[in-house]
Amino acid sequence: MTFIITEPCIGVCDTACVDVCPVDCIHFDVDEKDAGQKMKEMKAADPNVDLEKLQLFIDPEECIDCAACEPECPVEAIFPEDEVPDVWKDFIKMNYEAFGQEAP
Amino acid sequence: MSNKKKKTAGKPQVTISPKDYKGKVNPDWCVGCGDFGVLNAFQKACSELGLPSHKILVVSGIGCSSNFPGFFNSYGMHTLHGRPLPVATGAKLANHELTVIVTAGDGDGYGIGGNHFTHTARRNIDLTYLVMNNQIYGLTTGQISPTSRMGMKTKSTPYGSVELPVNPLTLAIMGGATFVARAYSSEGSYFVNLIKQAIQHKGFSFIDIFSPCVTYNHENTHTFFKQRIKHLEDEGHDPTDWKTACEKAMIWGDEIYTGLFLQNTERRTLEQLEPILDKGGPLAHRSLGLTEAQSSKIIEKLM
Repeated sequence: MTFIITEPCIGVCDTACVDVCPVDCIHFDVDEKDAGQKMKEMKAADPNVDLEKLQLFIDPEECIDCAACEPECPVEAIFPEDEVPDVWKDFIKMNYEAFGQEAP
Repeated sequence: MSNKKKKTAGKPQVTISPKDYKGKVNPDWCVGCGDFGVLNAFQKACSELGLPSHKILVVSGIGCSSNFPGFFNSYGMHTLHGRPLPVATGAKLANHELTVIVTAGDGDGYGIGGNHFTHTARRNIDLTYLVMNNQIYGLTTGQISPTSRMGMKTKSTPYGSVELPVNPLTLAIMGGATFVARAYSSEGSYFVNLIKQAIQHKGFSFIDIFSPCVTYNHENTHTFFKQRIKHLEDEGHDPTDWKTACEKAMIWGDEIYTGLFLQNTERRTLEQLEPILDKGGPLAHRSLGLTEAQSSKIIEKLM
């Protein structure tokens, strides 16, 4: 299982989840391993940076299901995989595919 | 079981997915607890080794980490405080074809069960001992444990601990363990590989795992370890060199080593040395060698 980041994250990318993740598995640009941190730096450098279509993703293979990220999200975008609300079910596939993995 | 085959080229073909080892109960650990990393890595290790659930037994003692068998889909036994090693020893001797894993915490394994630790190590029975070391008593809400540092302030030591902590690695090496390693629960594939090596090792294999308590230990946190962890392999450490292994195990400061400290593949295991286990398969599968009348007579006498 893994945790899934859903729609409310788009355009927000708060990164509070990145700070608490013990295995550093939350990224926004999957090509870079420290992408979560990079997002923080981008926001620090320019608070008005355009995040319109960006969101954070959790690497399903690296996630250890510890749930540390879930209560940290200010927009309540993070859910356990089997509790994702029906309207955001598409995000499960998106999360897996962001890391080149096949959704179950 | 899903019997899925992994498509990734170059990796060993996996027939059992880590998810197949998910127990019926969800872990009740605090969010962010290091034990999640241990459970996850153990599931991956078993999957990569292709171990079927019915050939694994997980035995635990008491503590947060000792709820482990309930969260893992295999045979399991949640025993008494500090006693998982003797119970696992009995189980292994009764059925030496089982892969027997013992899970404990630092309080359970190095405190109340400390005596069993040294004796199981010297016997070199083929068990894998995973100790989730958070350097505190977490289940009882934050008192010093045998691995808390000297001077550490906790509920039970408001002016700081006045006791020297035990060093589980030197204890295991001196005790005669034939596989001694240390890991950090968030180290992903590095940790998975160590568990795999420990399971494959013939003899007593022991991993001391830093598994931070995010609720009661505010010193030995995930950040603390991420800033300090260094891998022994990068130093060119030779796991047959017990003296250097002890030296590396005692380093504690800006650098803390994880990895395989010691491995001895020459010593024979208890099962190999025990003549009664030599032929005929596991004791559990053998006939008792008594007639029904004889066994009834014994039971009658005992009742």
